[in-house]
Amino acid sequence: MRDSRRWVFGLIGVGVTIALLVRLGMPLRITDDTRTVYELIESLDSTNVVMISFDHEASSLPEVRPLAQAVVDHCFRREIPVVGLALFSEGTAAGYSLLVERSREFNRAYGTDWVYLGFRPQYASAILGMGENIGDVFESDFEGNALDALPLSERVHNYGDIDLVISVADGSMPTYWVEYARSRYEQRVVGALTAVMVTSFLPYLESGQLDGILAGLKAAAEYEYLLGQPGAGTRGMDAQSVAHGIIAVLIIVGNVQLWLRRRKPDGHNHS
Amino acid sequence: MTIETTITALLTLAIYSFLVGDNPIYKFAEHLLVGLSVGYTLVVTLKSVIWPQTIEPLFSGNLISVIPLLLGVLIFLRVSKTMAPWSRIPLALVVGGGAGVAIPAMLDARILSQMGATMSGATTWNGWVIVVGVSATLTYFVFTRKSTGALGFASRAGRYFMMIFFGATFAYTVMSRVALLIGRLEFLMGDWLGLIGS
Repeated sequence: MRDSRRWVFGLIGVGVTIALLVRLGMPLRITDDTRTVYELIESLDSTNVVMISFDHEASSLPEVRPLAQAVVDHCFRREIPVVGLALFSEGTAAGYSLLVERSREFNRAYGTDWVYLGFRPQYASAILGMGENIGDVFESDFEGNALDALPLSERVHNYGDIDLVISVADGSMPTYWVEYARSRYEQRVVGALTAVMVTSFLPYLESGQLDGILAGLKAAAEYEYLLGQPGAGTRGMDAQSVAHGIIAVLIIVGNVQLWLRRRKPDGHNHS
Repeated sequence: MTIETTITALLTLAIYSFLVGDNPIYKFAEHLLVGLSVGYTLVVTLKSVIWPQTIEPLFSGNLISVIPLLLGVLIFLRVSKTMAPWSRIPLALVVGGGAGVAIPAMLDARILSQMGATMSGATTWNGWVIVVGVSATLTYFVFTRKSTGALGFASRAGRYFMMIFFGATFAYTVMSRVALLIGRLEFLMGDWLGLIGS
């Protein structure tokens, strides 16, 4: 088939479109990894503090935003104070707008229930510096307020005052959280990751260096199910399953076609 | 359907037009994306870092911030043929400091902790799979001896372990890319055209 690449794109596009328009309601199994993170946050309350770092670029927003929203909603629902920041410049506005939107939904007050520190480059020194004193790394918050002028940031000085760090990432940033915050300061770290990064971080999960992993849109759907709050992740899972089905069928068809071609005595492998 | 939504939707379609073939509309959207990304990063860095950490303290009489500012300026001297050696000072500081911070941290987190977890995990079935997988994969990278006999068998086993890893990674990559497609199609059909309810 000439230019079969476009047929593959077309088939997947049509399949995803139909699955988004027609809700199939496919069953969803909750994985242990997602449940672990859910229970970790469930074990915290308003006396604890969660730091959420938006370590991603704008291009991965369709995958990481449902994940980030699920954990932010969980924190706000349990009245856990949230300290937000970004170690990628493109994550700065994405993280801030998400926290503004969700805090309005859950009626959480800025300064008391959540604070956004903004962006810092040089992630290694930023992560290490926050272990000593957050005020040395961020003189003020994203809105320009002095940190000691806000009740929440006034009482959060370093990792000793933070119970969990969640790195919402599309790259290797959780590795640096493990290297500099976990190894040096014993800080608990969870990675909310794009699916493509998951296999790189499974060794850290197995070794206990990461306290949990949320893997892509599927984990977002699972988390939304555990929260009893279907959202973008849940909506996307039907389409994801359909796309995976089409790709699996295409892989089988392609291999059978190749096998039949090779069986011919004069068969050549034309690509 | 707001004007912002329509502009976003049209730019999404412009990027997807690459599937038909390279074209000027795609090129325009691509260049716009690159330009905006650089511009955005520049503004965020100026607003969040350079202004509050160097310029503002300077105006308020904190002369110590002259040092990072000066080091930053020295880096740009690379473009000058005569002054270029001065740019080595900040680079040496960055490389030296960076290596000093990174090497012990990486050794601990990526090698020692991982080795410890691999060895101490050999009390369960999964732990043994990891021990065998790591050992076999390492033998694949023994290049000083010919891979025959037991070494050849272990090396082949290592190759199969790596293939399983590559397969799993590729599957996760497909999952990730499909998620991005779903996000854009959901935006086009939901936010833009209003065909999908919330």
